[in-house]
Amino acid sequence: MKKANKIITIAIFIFLYIPMLVLIVGSFNEGKSLARFDGFTFEQYAELFRDPDLLALLGNSLIISILASLIATVFGTFSCVGINSLKPRMRNTVMSLTNIPMTNPDIVTGISLSLLFVFVGTKMLGQRNSLTFWTLLIAHITFDLPYVILNVMPKLQQMDRSLVDAAMDLGCTPIESFFKVTIHEIMPGIVAGAIMAFTMSLDDFVISYFVTGMDFVTLPVEIYSYTKKPIPPKIYAMFTLLFLLILVLMITMNLLQLKSEKKKARG
Amino acid sequence: MSKELIRLRDLTMEFDGERILDGINLYINDHEFLTLLGPSGCGKTTTLRIIGGFLTPTSGTVTFDGKRINDVPPYERQINTVFQRYALFPHLDVYDNIAFGLRVNKVPKDEIDRRVHEMLEVVSLKGYEHRRINNLSGGQQQRVAIARALVNRPKVLLLDEPLGALDLRLRKDMQNELKRIQQAMGITFIYVTHDQEEALSMSDTIVVMDKGRIQQIGKPEDIYNEPKNAFVADFIGESNILDGVMLSDYKVKFFGRVFDCVDKGFAPNEPVDVVIRPEDIDIVPPQQGHLVGTVTSVTFKGLNYDIIVEFKGFKWLIQTTDYHGEGSTIGIRLNPEDIHIMKKSEYSGMFGDYSSYSAEYDELTEDAGDEEE
Amino acid sequence: MKKNNSILLSTPYILWMVAFTLIPLGVVGYYALTDPDTGVFTWSNIRELGTYLPVFGQSIMYSLVSALICLILGYPVAYYIAHRGAVMQKILYMLVMLPMCMSFLLRTLAWVGLLQDTGIINNLLAAVGLPRLQLIRTPAAVVLGMVYNYLPYMILPLYSTIVKIDHRLIEAAEDLGCTPAETFRKVTLPLSMPGILSGLTMVFVPAVSTFYISQKLGGADTVLIGDVIERLYKQGNNANLGAALSLLLMILVFVCTGIMNRLGGDEEAVVV
Repeated sequence: MKKANKIITIAIFIFLYIPMLVLIVGSFNEGKSLARFDGFTFEQYAELFRDPDLLALLGNSLIISILASLIATVFGTFSCVGINSLKPRMRNTVMSLTNIPMTNPDIVTGISLSLLFVFVGTKMLGQRNSLTFWTLLIAHITFDLPYVILNVMPKLQQMDRSLVDAAMDLGCTPIESFFKVTIHEIMPGIVAGAIMAFTMSLDDFVISYFVTGMDFVTLPVEIYSYTKKPIPPKIYAMFTLLFLLILVLMITMNLLQLKSEKKKARG
Repeated sequence: MSKELIRLRDLTMEFDGERILDGINLYINDHEFLTLLGPSGCGKTTTLRIIGGFLTPTSGTVTFDGKRINDVPPYERQINTVFQRYALFPHLDVYDNIAFGLRVNKVPKDEIDRRVHEMLEVVSLKGYEHRRINNLSGGQQQRVAIARALVNRPKVLLLDEPLGALDLRLRKDMQNELKRIQQAMGITFIYVTHDQEEALSMSDTIVVMDKGRIQQIGKPEDIYNEPKNAFVADFIGESNILDGVMLSDYKVKFFGRVFDCVDKGFAPNEPVDVVIRPEDIDIVPPQQGHLVGTVTSVTFKGLNYDIIVEFKGFKWLIQTTDYHGEGSTIGIRLNPEDIHIMKKSEYSGMFGDYSSYSAEYDELTEDAGDEEE
Repeated sequence: MKKNNSILLSTPYILWMVAFTLIPLGVVGYYALTDPDTGVFTWSNIRELGTYLPVFGQSIMYSLVSALICLILGYPVAYYIAHRGAVMQKILYMLVMLPMCMSFLLRTLAWVGLLQDTGIINNLLAAVGLPRLQLIRTPAAVVLGMVYNYLPYMILPLYSTIVKIDHRLIEAAEDLGCTPAETFRKVTLPLSMPGILSGLTMVFVPAVSTFYISQKLGGADTVLIGDVIERLYKQGNNANLGAALSLLLMILVFVCTGIMNRLGGDEEAVVV
């Protein structure tokens, strides 16, 4: 039984990682096909850094995901404080509202936002092109917000409420007590929410695909348009670099977490 | 002796239509050690939180030094609090916790340093400045919480069950420590607890509360010796409470027999509650007793035996240092000063019967278990 | 007084969410009920939904099958991870998370490279002298793509429920005479029910609405509802019919998650 579990687990991990391995191997391939290895080369990486268009797309993706996750994190954190002091029934209603973008299929969220922007932009404001950088940003903030809320809210609820009382007892106004006490207590939730929001934004394809206009395209949307033309292997090089980046990010996060847990355990 | 500092007038508090406080009237003097005592849910913590400014009463007024402070937020009150589970800031070390209030109030750096070190000395935590809060024991955290509140030199210190999370030994030490600190600093302490022993040994004044109302206010001795009703008699120490009739001043009849007592001022033939403390009862040979009964159970308690004695179907708790075996027949004598008479109240008939002694005992230990969490 | 102030902090959020989740759904409803050319009210989009019911049925079939396969594959993995030491749990958890953070388009394209007629698998088969197989453009390829992409969404909630099961309960069951198999069936499995249900939902919802997987790995006969909506909306220029289909899809998903939550609600009471 235990042995079977172990074998299945190893097999599943191989299954999960083989496609990524294929892409990584492809990034060192001289040929264009993923299916045939024609020889080892770093040429694809050089190509990647010589391609201003591709780098610009990556830049667009980074701008959108950094801005959206940053705004969603700040906005969401303050909103949590507000939601937390609502009456239970109202709080439940707001949390169901928060869950809509989480449960709704991405395609529905994408189409609904796109229709809203077209409806308001074209029909009400008479714009010719109503899908812009700003609408894309709004869309990303909207689907990032629940990740922040769902990460920060539990921390806020777990927090010993008397800490805020204590801060006020010692002379802090409510705003001071938020910045001097509450924020330190909910920081792990804020960081987790921000990282989740960022990765979701960076990797989002479906919603961006429907909401994006002609003038501002993100990397995943561009990759989708390769359906018709063959994929240039420099994309695989980019994938490999992003893979390493996220791997390093995750390892650091886990190490930090492990360290703080050890610190706590000593107490 | 000293002047009045805080007054609560007709205080009521309601949460979602439920009445938590029902007409609290109370004044608190400067330099006083006052304890709000009562079972959980009696409204003692709510009263404390209103004084601290964390709750606004539904009606009634709170005055401090003669000024109405109902709407003054906690950060503008000259009152500090030691919270139930200390509420120390986990992201700060001992020094920064204690300095927190001073920093918020922009006290100069060198003065902060001086006062924090002074406080560390008062609570015997010298050398612990840079310890993390999570690396302190419960007793040490308790001391930091006290120091953090006192360093601001409040006029009043509120303490919300501050010793509830400590083990018995540490509790006793901290009780003495708190009393010492209160006398050394010369400020008012308002102390909330459900532990009657703690209240009796530390307080100048005890306020016994139940169901959102004050049941009795008085000095510890008075509360113990002259409980106003069956609730107070039962909550403070053990009591046998019997139905009686006050025939006239100094004469009370119960169990079909007239006893001399020291109480007066009741209407002729007024039904009353009679309180007899288990430790006041003298055991004598059966033929010399006012009453004769049979021992039905004996429990060794270390200092004494708790024995349950049945008198005509009614069971009493008697504390004695002499052993009387189960089934033996004994007599008891009651001196006039051992008998305390109370007016009938809503609590009459609810307490003071030891017929189900063991069950009641279980309940008590269960309660104690809940407090630990 | 101080409480009211912090309540005000929730107002911008509520306004934002109403403006960008509730109202857009209203707009979808508006488009679903109007004519694409004239913009007047019509039932014709709704009436036309009937023609797409087979596609809906096919989408539900594919995603249900994928969700069940994910459960069968994911449970042993989650169980295995939950019974490692603390550090190993963290590492394995991270390894399950990592693929979720990587471009799902490229990872699906990698499967194309693996499965296509002149792809890696077929090349390997040819190299050892076996005949080439039709792997891509089959229903199995679509299910494979779904299982591959959404398996982590199954493993993570399963892991979080299994790891919380009090080990003393297992010991108690064994103490009361259960064999390991009985213990699993009578204790572990019922207690992991909330994780199973939330895992099934988390796989089913994105699977039923996907269009990329079926476009890349499927053939002409594996068209899913996501494909239809995408084509109508982005290429066919019939946004109104697309809106009507989205509306139906949304209702389907909400009904499914509603049922799952109802089932899960009962089970959660057991856990508490």
